[in-house]
Amino acid sequence: MYYLQLVINGIIAGSMYALFAVGLTMVYGVFRFINFAHGELIALGAYSALFFTSPPLSLPLIWATAPAVACTVCVGLLQDRLVFQPLCHGTRMTLLIASIGLSYLLRNAIQFGFGSDLLSYNVDLAAGYEWGPIIVTRMQLSMLITAVVFLTFLYWLFTRTMLGKALRAVADNMELAGIMGIPLGRVNRTVWILAATFAAVGGILLAMDTSLEPMMGVINLLKAFAAVLLGGPGNVWGALIGGIAIGVAENLSVAVLSPGYKDFIAFAVILVMLLFRPGGIFSFQKGMR
Amino acid sequence: MDYLLHIAISTLIYAIFAMSLNLELGYAGLYNFGHIAFFGIGAYTSALMAVGGLPIPLGITSAMALAGLIGAGLAFTVLRLTGDYFGIATLAFGEMMRLLFLNERWLTKGPMGIPGIPRPTLLGGMPADLLQYLMFTVACTILVFLILHRLETSPFGRALKVVREDEFVAQAFGKNLLSLKMRCIVVGSVIAGLAGALWAHYMTYISPNDFTLQGTIIVLLCVVLGGKGSPSGPLLGTCVVVLLQESLRFLPIPTDFGRHVAPLQGMVFGLMLVLLMLRRPQGLIAELHGGRGA
Amino acid sequence: MMGSLKKLLGLAIVLAALPVWAQDAVEVGSITPLSGKLAVYGEGFQRAMNLALEEVNAAGGIQGKPLKIIFEDNGSTSQGSVSAIQKLITVHKVPIIFGPAASSNFLAICPIAQQNKVVLIGAESAAADISQCGSYVFRVFPSDILQGRGGAELAKELGYRKVVLTYINNDWGVGLAEAFKDSFTESGGEIIDEFPHEEGKSDYRSEILRIKQSNAPAVVNLTYIKEGAAMLKQAFEMKVKTQWIMGSASKSPKLVEIAGEAAEGIIGTYPTFSQDTPQYQHFKTAWEKAYPESKIGVFAEYNYDMVNLTAKALNLAVESTPEALREALMEAGKGYQGVTGDKTFDENGDVGAVYGKWTVTDGKIVDYRK
Repeated sequence: MYYLQLVINGIIAGSMYALFAVGLTMVYGVFRFINFAHGELIALGAYSALFFTSPPLSLPLIWATAPAVACTVCVGLLQDRLVFQPLCHGTRMTLLIASIGLSYLLRNAIQFGFGSDLLSYNVDLAAGYEWGPIIVTRMQLSMLITAVVFLTFLYWLFTRTMLGKALRAVADNMELAGIMGIPLGRVNRTVWILAATFAAVGGILLAMDTSLEPMMGVINLLKAFAAVLLGGPGNVWGALIGGIAIGVAENLSVAVLSPGYKDFIAFAVILVMLLFRPGGIFSFQKGMR
Repeated sequence: MDYLLHIAISTLIYAIFAMSLNLELGYAGLYNFGHIAFFGIGAYTSALMAVGGLPIPLGITSAMALAGLIGAGLAFTVLRLTGDYFGIATLAFGEMMRLLFLNERWLTKGPMGIPGIPRPTLLGGMPADLLQYLMFTVACTILVFLILHRLETSPFGRALKVVREDEFVAQAFGKNLLSLKMRCIVVGSVIAGLAGALWAHYMTYISPNDFTLQGTIIVLLCVVLGGKGSPSGPLLGTCVVVLLQESLRFLPIPTDFGRHVAPLQGMVFGLMLVLLMLRRPQGLIAELHGGRGA
Repeated sequence: MMGSLKKLLGLAIVLAALPVWAQDAVEVGSITPLSGKLAVYGEGFQRAMNLALEEVNAAGGIQGKPLKIIFEDNGSTSQGSVSAIQKLITVHKVPIIFGPAASSNFLAICPIAQQNKVVLIGAESAAADISQCGSYVFRVFPSDILQGRGGAELAKELGYRKVVLTYINNDWGVGLAEAFKDSFTESGGEIIDEFPHEEGKSDYRSEILRIKQSNAPAVVNLTYIKEGAAMLKQAFEMKVKTQWIMGSASKSPKLVEIAGEAAEGIIGTYPTFSQDTPQYQHFKTAWEKAYPESKIGVFAEYNYDMVNLTAKALNLAVESTPEALREALMEAGKGYQGVTGDKTFDENGDVGAVYGKWTVTDGKIVDYRK
């Protein structure tokens, strides 16, 4: 039972990693670079929600979510417009370094504005739901439900809408998609909007669960990287499974290893995956699915 | 006076470190985001040996050897990866090394760090003072600079640059890519190990906090700012970065504003990286010959 | 804004006036975190030191000369601390330096002070290792060894013979955990499970599960505010019924604010001193008079004692050699009753301490009473 509970904790932690990883992998799928500044979108979502819930606006958290997500999306689009678009014809490394710089800039801007102290939303506590020996807390349940809802929406978007099809076509081959008359600008913007929304929602949930601090994005971004690589870059469903696999692996490790090595697992997964299955577990597939 | 010496020493040590990254990043196009690990390996090896009572020159040599050995191991495993995959793999490696430093308390004393690392002694048996240590560091810097300069113009260096520009062309010319890159990483790691050892003996205290991702970002800035692909680029880049850092000390900052200084500095560094990529990706000193793809 | 402007103006006037008598002042140095992550505290330290300084100078200074503190910022890093101490020793040539907060920063500069024979005094650093730094290193703040012992006594007093020990994986947590373990097992206690937890994480559920699995009646959790709050919250949600025993670093209204109901009933130790003494009353009135708009800062009392004790030592010293100053400081500490109690130094330059117990009742931190 102890192990089952660890697995469940892992799945829920992993669904959060998946929320972050999906955005990361979409950006990679379309623009072919790893966006280090994605972590700051997570933190930004959480911090802007805090801004809207505190005076002078003092909105209830549920209402603050929408403007917070909107703010994060704006920053995501600005990132694209001011930095990544002008650089899109440069090398992938130029983009990568620019995103590292951007991440550093945004993280310090958050610290400048809000201080490095930890902050919280003051969410009410509630004891968890029990099913026999298994306990799942209310926050955990909300995380799981949110992740499922968002990922299902994404599935619908990808398979049932023209926009989704266009997105996949662009991920497959941007030039060809352009020739075929797919509006590239619109597709690019959609990718950023989706990535930023997922990051912001995940960030707010994470902050509700514990607290806010400027480093919160970076810490989770590294796990998201691992998930992306595990699932295969550009592969949205792979990211989901990758996220869950990493969550389960690191939580199970607590039973045997010193918890000081919890993060070690994620990094080990990154290394091993890159070495043996650089295309991810589903390497037979190509492009964005 | 000693304050200036202190700045000079730290700048030079960082410059050596930046030059070693430049060898991998600038010459061969290998984006090693875990390079700080070799700095750390060098620092810990030399520090532990010196604290254990072994002679310091032996410690520094072992530090370089061990860093090179682990570098070879890393190169052997991750070299088949290219571009950003290589970057992520090395990033993971760097963080794993930091976690080892943090958690293997029997060896590294974990988060407590290692205090009281001795300075090298001179012939008279006195520990080197700052000026003497500076001389020592200057000598090391010049040596590293000359070696790298020599490498740049050697067939090895030219071959590396061809690899950076176009792997297929390099292969077509009969170059063994793997061996070239491997040698490049080993040399880079050895030099980073040297920088780490110098750092440990200079600071006399190290802890896992000194070897975080932040260190990688700062040194990356040094290399990219100065101009990658030329040995003098990182030197200049490091000077500018350290100067920016230290000049903040002399600004008349009101005490109430004190806690905002560090994030402001971080914002400036981040912005610099972004602007550099946008406006001048080749850095302050552009490479003289050989056109760049970007 | 006006306040800080005035302060700035005041500072400028003081600075302008300095050269007139600076040659005749007795200078000591201070390495203070005025920027970086500890800057929030650094300001308070500085205020407390300045308060004591004013009183010392009003009472005649050091053998007729005024005392002066040269403040150096360390950016809250060990590298910055090394920079700062080097500047203080070589540029300002001060014989006594007040060390920085955070044990890792303090430990980084200990060997430099010892080597250069400069007296180094700490007012916030608790790591046990500092005791071994050497003969020139003192502190007016109690060592972790004492708090470890205090925690072990508390656990036994509450009737727990078997506990789970978990600690934050940084210099403070590891040092304190070692001290607790030694003391607790020595007196016959048993530690069923022991593990560190990473700093700065948000999900500790699996760690808590490991605690739950061990069925321990009590958990000794030596951690910081954020980590402590997250763990308490998640343990509450997972219905872990155990007695939490915490250390001094979690004693903060912030922890109670974040953890809410989950913090109710936790018990912890902290170094304390009586607030009924005339010394404390004097300090309190003086602080309120000098800084009406700000509350008494964290560890302000220790910083205040440190400066007063240093002034006493400087007055006692027959000559200004390092050895004489060191002896004078030992002498000055003997039986000295400061705001924070008895400051008699032992052979390691450490002071004793009284440990209080705190608990959380109705969302407030109060003293624990049976």
